Amino acid sequence: SECREWALLELQGVLEIQPSAQHLPLNAFSIGSLSRSQQEKYYFTIGYHELEGKKVSLKKPMLVLQKVLRADPIDVESSPVVLSTQYPTQVQKTSELKAIGIIRHKILFKTRPKALISK
Amino acid sequence: MGNASILELNVDSSLEVYYGETFGSEDLKLLEVDEPILQEILDRGASGEELDTKSETGGKRTASAMAAATGHLELVEVAPNFEKLKSLLSERLYGEDTDSMDVEESTSGLYTWDDLLEKLQLSEKELQEGLKSLAAVQVGGFWRLVDKKYMHCVFELILLNAMQHDWSLQGLKEKEVVSALMADGYSAQIVIHCLATYGQRVSLAFEAGIASNGSYDLDSHVWELNERHVCLHYANQLLSSASRWRVDDFVDAWQQNLPSGVQASLDMLKGKILIEKLGSDSWLYPFSVANLPSNPAERFAALFRERPRWEWEDLEPYISDLRAPGKSVDALLLKYTRRTQPTAETPPIFTAR
Repeated sequence: SECREWALLELQGVLEIQPSAQHLPLNAFSIGSLSRSQQEKYYFTIGYHELEGKKVSLKKPMLVLQKVLRADPIDVESSPVVLSTQYPTQVQKTSELKAIGIIRHKILFKTRPKALISK
Repeated sequence: MGNASILELNVDSSLEVYYGETFGSEDLKLLEVDEPILQEILDRGASGEELDTKSETGGKRTASAMAAATGHLELVEVAPNFEKLKSLLSERLYGEDTDSMDVEESTSGLYTWDDLLEKLQLSEKELQEGLKSLAAVQVGGFWRLVDKKYMHCVFELILLNAMQHDWSLQGLKEKEVVSALMADGYSAQIVIHCLATYGQRVSLAFEAGIASNGSYDLDSHVWELNERHVCLHYANQLLSSASRWRVDDFVDAWQQNLPSGVQASLDMLKGKILIEKLGSDSWLYPFSVANLPSNPAERFAALFRERPRWEWEDLEPYISDLRAPGKSVDALLLKYTRRTQPTAETPPIFTAR
């Protein structure tokens, strides 16, 4: 199947872009630097904050689904598509959810960020 | 975060994390699934707003519904619902006016197998089961429900012919039955559907022990009518002729109408009639589980409206068909009824919760 495994980083907070950089496209700069020290111990450095996290397995795997609009009815036998819904619209349009990834683990950052003092 | 390198990040190394190029423009949702269902989805695909899995999982039917929380969905099992199938097929019942092989004027309200799969959130196996349970028949490529009165007519005619020609109900020759009814204008497909609904095929002509005046036609299908269906047919006739019957009168009339050799018993009417004592007489009246809601909460409400108190023996046929995911009959009783048992010798009584 086309479903590759995705990584999931769980941050308990909100990522904000500095006012000075808001005019730039989102992927013009990195969010932060992710590093791995021991087996399951990870550090995520965002700006001058460092978050410590660990890799855990999800109790239940998660599918990453992407909503896709199709114009024709689906031939269920041959289609690689996972889910479809039929909306009662004038045109026979169907909206489908396509599975594009599986997530089995996450790197969970739930501790208070540590402020890094530059040397 | 569709990048495998995060997963492959080695000890004592680091990488920069960026927003993806299409971030923000995609409509993504996360769906939590059980591992076995995940495997099915990946192997075989599924369809439906409720996610269907195309086969049975662990012996249970799974048609599942998604409940949306903010961006995070959870897969929950629900029991399949044939109400929608029934209502679609009821749009145009096959009856007196359509009993001909002529092409019908329009195909609106008529559904093929593919139409039904697309319109309903049922897997193929479930659709098959649903069609069978509704006694649907495929005529001209469309799945049809036959008007009940019409089916009873055809059945009645088969029984009359059997009595007239002295045919054994355990060994009806398809050819003979079909030609007799076709002479009266009924289509062969419907006659055979009737035989299949009220009976079953017997394997070989001579096994049915039919006396014939020569060779057996081994190509001829032979049918055995189900005794219970024959009895129910006549019972239904009596029940629709009067709103209530004194039990003894009913049993007499019933047995009298039945073909010889067929034995009727009130047990056959469980789930179709209720009996109540009025003074020294017992009276029965029609109360069919088929007319009750299939949703457990509504079913129990309807039952307790009819009778505030039920004994288990009377209640059982009216709840045995209830399906709720992961809920046994005991669990349903616990949820919707209050059980009392005055003494150890008297049977338990169920009342509304």
